[in-house]
Amino acid sequence: MTAKSQDLLAGVTAPKVRTLLRVVILFFIAGAAVSSRLFSVIRFESIIHEFDPWFNFRATKYLVANGFYKFWDWFDDRTWHPLGRVTGGTLYPGLMVTSGAIYHALRALTIPVDIRNICVLLAPAFSGLTAYATYLLTNEMTTSPSAGLLAAIFMGIAPGYISRSVAGSYDNEAIAIFLLVFTFFLWIKALKLGSMLWGALCALFYGYMVASWGGYAFITCLLPMHALVLICMGRYSTRLYVSYTTWYALGTLASMQIPFVGFLPVKTSEHMPALGIFGFLQLIGFIQYVRSAISGRQFQTFLVTLLVATFGLGLAGLVGLTSLGYIAPWGGRFYSLWDTGYAKIHIPIIASVSEHQPTAWPSFFFDLNFLIWLFPAGVYLCFQNLRDEHVFIVVYAMFGSYFAGVMVRLMLTLTPVVCVAAAIAVSQILDTYLSVKVPIVDETAASSTDSAPKKAKGGLRATEKPNVGIFNNLSKVVVTGAMTIYLLMFVTHCTWVTSNAYSSPSVVLASRLPDGSQHIIDDYREAYQWLRQNTKEDAKIMSWWDYGYQIGGMADRPTLVDNNTWNNTHIATVGKAMSSREEVSYPIMRQHEVDYVLVVFGGLLGYSGDDINKFLWMVRIAEGIWPDEVKERDFFTARGEYKVDHDATETMKNSLMYKMSYYNYNTLFPSGQAVDRVRGVRMPDQGPVLDTVEEAFTSENWIIRIYKVKDLDNVGRDHGAAAAFARGQKKKKIQKKRGARVLRVD
Amino acid sequence: MKPYSITTALLGFLSTALASASTETQSSKDNLPGDFKPPQVFKNANLVHVISLEKNYVKEQINVLVQNVASEPQDEYYLPFTAEQMARVGGFEVKDRKDANAGPFVAEPVDHASLDSVQYYRIRFPTPLKAGAQQTLGISFYYLKAYTPLPASVAQDELQFLVYDFSIYAPSAYPTLKQKTEVKSWSSAIPGYTKIKDFPTKQGAKLTYGPFEEQPAGAVSPAQVRFEYEKPVTHVAELDRDIEVSHWGGNVAFEERYELYHRGANLSTPFNRVKWVQAAFYNPPTHALKELRVPLQVGSVDAYFIDTIGNVSTSRFRSNKREALLELKPRYPLFGGWKYPFTIGWNSDAANFVRKTATGGYVLKVPFLEGPKQAEGVEYQQVNVKVLLPEGAENVKFFTTIPESSIASTSVGITKSYLDTVGRTTVTITARNLVDEFRDRDLIISYDAPLISTLRKPIVIFVSILSLYVATWAIGKVQVGFQPRK
Repeated sequence: MTAKSQDLLAGVTAPKVRTLLRVVILFFIAGAAVSSRLFSVIRFESIIHEFDPWFNFRATKYLVANGFYKFWDWFDDRTWHPLGRVTGGTLYPGLMVTSGAIYHALRALTIPVDIRNICVLLAPAFSGLTAYATYLLTNEMTTSPSAGLLAAIFMGIAPGYISRSVAGSYDNEAIAIFLLVFTFFLWIKALKLGSMLWGALCALFYGYMVASWGGYAFITCLLPMHALVLICMGRYSTRLYVSYTTWYALGTLASMQIPFVGFLPVKTSEHMPALGIFGFLQLIGFIQYVRSAISGRQFQTFLVTLLVATFGLGLAGLVGLTSLGYIAPWGGRFYSLWDTGYAKIHIPIIASVSEHQPTAWPSFFFDLNFLIWLFPAGVYLCFQNLRDEHVFIVVYAMFGSYFAGVMVRLMLTLTPVVCVAAAIAVSQILDTYLSVKVPIVDETAASSTDSAPKKAKGGLRATEKPNVGIFNNLSKVVVTGAMTIYLLMFVTHCTWVTSNAYSSPSVVLASRLPDGSQHIIDDYREAYQWLRQNTKEDAKIMSWWDYGYQIGGMADRPTLVDNNTWNNTHIATVGKAMSSREEVSYPIMRQHEVDYVLVVFGGLLGYSGDDINKFLWMVRIAEGIWPDEVKERDFFTARGEYKVDHDATETMKNSLMYKMSYYNYNTLFPSGQAVDRVRGVRMPDQGPVLDTVEEAFTSENWIIRIYKVKDLDNVGRDHGAAAAFARGQKKKKIQKKRGARVLRVD
Repeated sequence: MKPYSITTALLGFLSTALASASTETQSSKDNLPGDFKPPQVFKNANLVHVISLEKNYVKEQINVLVQNVASEPQDEYYLPFTAEQMARVGGFEVKDRKDANAGPFVAEPVDHASLDSVQYYRIRFPTPLKAGAQQTLGISFYYLKAYTPLPASVAQDELQFLVYDFSIYAPSAYPTLKQKTEVKSWSSAIPGYTKIKDFPTKQGAKLTYGPFEEQPAGAVSPAQVRFEYEKPVTHVAELDRDIEVSHWGGNVAFEERYELYHRGANLSTPFNRVKWVQAAFYNPPTHALKELRVPLQVGSVDAYFIDTIGNVSTSRFRSNKREALLELKPRYPLFGGWKYPFTIGWNSDAANFVRKTATGGYVLKVPFLEGPKQAEGVEYQQVNVKVLLPEGAENVKFFTTIPESSIASTSVGITKSYLDTVGRTTVTITARNLVDEFRDRDLIISYDAPLISTLRKPIVIFVSILSLYVATWAIGKVQVGFQPRK
């Protein structure tokens, strides 16, 4: 013994007190995690955010109102008109079932909680659980008592996770990240103990994860990868065999219970690694058994034959089954994971979603702050004592980093491992520098000024360990001080990011009045409420697919396309209707029984997320199906510019979307002064003329414009003629034109 | 001292009134044969019929001098309505014009076997009218859904005209010797009205028909008036008003859910935002509903205004010592044929509404109806008032100054919420065909809340959590592993 602990904290080092302290700290961490996600509720209201959550909310309401079996069989005829959607079989029900269960539990206690509030607050509540799961996972990695707590608080407030779990962000990720981390914890636990119980628990939570989020494939691929790496490192053990086979067999069965997943685990390429490793483990188990039974020379021959045969058969089987169509080849979204340019060329609908874009490097720092540079340090520390669980962190870190670099939204799967690794690094630093141990200096050495104070009194010199550690107070203060500053900056950064970047419901926009008071721009809900109250119950609304879920959720009206982009052709149809001339669009709208068309226009307010800015995606998607009828090139000027003013191309000016966006807009301004504040251009004096649709409602700030599709003309004229006739009665100009036309006939 | 005297006064008031309130309202109606005709025991010596079209409901007042022409004293006077009118008439009240202290007379619809024939309201005199004696009655009632817009649809910036159908001769089951009918319109612009002989005389916004000579019982002369009405025709199809009393919180919470319609002229061309914005500069009168102003009781706090998809940010709440005014702006201006359901709610200190009586009980006094106070008025087709008293409240008695004929049903039940075990006593009153002129009418409820029922909830929660702990502890002691723990 060369160091003794100072008895400063002797009173609180009793295990029970430590446990209590930990529990209290964990509760505080959960509290911090929850409360930092409540910005939007406090600033705005308890409201469901953005787009996808509106569908989840609507589905949850359906589940609560109709019960689980009805929900399972739910055919939704209010979306994808006229196709409908087999909603019960094409969604991940985990989220809805979770909030439905909470709702019924609270009702059983006669607590009258609105289902909306449960949905809004589900993500923050689960973030508290995620923090706890991270704590457990980290504790498996290191013996340091502080690493787990640090990881928990990092996970609790890291913006990378907050981005998908603020109050109101009622999306699958809200519960999936907790399940992801907890499944990993159970996997590590099972692997360490070689326990079937933990393996089965891992499978159970894996099943829950599959029921909740499509991102379950990440686990499906990561666990086999971990197993493979362990085998390659020569670390095959019965522990690995037991835990992996238990997890795979039970987990796959569990995952196949979800109708949306069904037989995918045995049919698609994404799931093949797990199956392959499962088979591989059986082989190795068998080989191990054979080795113990036969002699070494025979074993060599046996091994080589077996391996070559299996590999050959397996590969041939895989290729054969894939080419025969039994195993689906990689899906488009998967290709875009390998080649970031793939989607842009082949699947514009995937590329059009901003969260599918490759990650820009500043967003790593934005979402993770100082964790991102501690992350490699933590991974390095895992290499130092490379036990099985550390291999997991290394594998996870590699894969997570890659995927996070490919797609913005996958930053979410990287965040847990970053938090764990960074916590290991920070705790290592703190444990080293914050140690209150002081070296015991021999009395003789203390009295003498000899340069070798540790002179062996007795025993071998080699048995004596050198004094390793930081004992200089200055270096302790400097390093811990710097670390404290980093930690404090991290908290400030997280709060700032959460408050400014991730807490906007995007349904409601906030602006400041000149006197500093908050002004709410509530155009979306104004228009949706108008639709809900003042149109027929089954009036079909055509809009771009971004707004499909919101219209379904807030306006409660059938839509043509929505954010569940399962039918590209249908979306392209809407894109074609929007980007074509009225004469082309009108038959499309009639065929789809469209009653109202909804467009988003930001020109008056300078709201840049409007349909004119998204218009090119509509054109591209339509062009993908009808390359002869819709051409992206026609929407650019000769100089290749995207213009909406005088210089706009004829195709642009005649497209339904352009007309609906700018219809009547010029009359709002004095003559010749109409300005589009998003594009920053002056609009032509003469606004577009609409024949086949009529303006039905425009919201206060013009963000939402709703048009009613006219019925067929009473006397059988086409709409152009009918509208010209109606105008001709009022205006003389057109009568003159008519005169000119008569002349030409002569 | 003062609260005490008020409570005793209230109690005295209650005890006299409770006798009538506790009886079931429906059962008090008699079933009369289909061919029922009121006995011809009265004649109307003089009658003035005032039809007020100044709000978006019609207020009719019939001031009549009745004379008993029978030989015995009589105490039942009948007023006829058609079956269609019967469904829309409400707020029926009768007063003695000469004696203001006589209080409202008991008036109720008479249950009639056949639907198509004439139906009656029966007015009971507090003291039977002697043979040959005279009595002055002031009968007032309201018609809801009274107008039809003509033309049925107008453009956004055009004027709205409403049509009202009525009879020049006042409805009466008795012969009328002399009568006069006055029609007061919202505006003096009355482009069309029925002319009969040299009547009516028009004076500003007022049309006067009569005086007429003797008319037989049941005389009808259909007439129509079409007048300009540049106000929204606001109609509340259903209002749910919940009042929750909490002794623990010292709070009374109100929540009102409105199903609001605009029954005026529809838009002939779709809504045009440009016109609307441009019109907003010089703010002309419009038939669109832009704003609702709800004056609340002074001391109201935490007001909110929401609809099915969340908070409506366009509301303002001013609360100070003198007023508590909630200004609501619907998400969109409401035009004819449009609909806007919404919810408002607020809290108030229980001390403003609940008093403790000397005997240890409680008395709750709240307005029966609050809601918007608009210059053009608001009509309510159905009002469901639900009062949630504290858990375990018993001995509940209630009384309201709303005309009794408007109350459709009353009941006392149980509602469970917020960890209740036995549930809260709930008083539900359903009233039909009310208008905002009854805003100042009260609902008074007396009840007892024994100490044990007040303490029930904390005890139940304490015991359940304790048993949860015990159960957890006991389960933790169960050995589930194969090996005993070290």
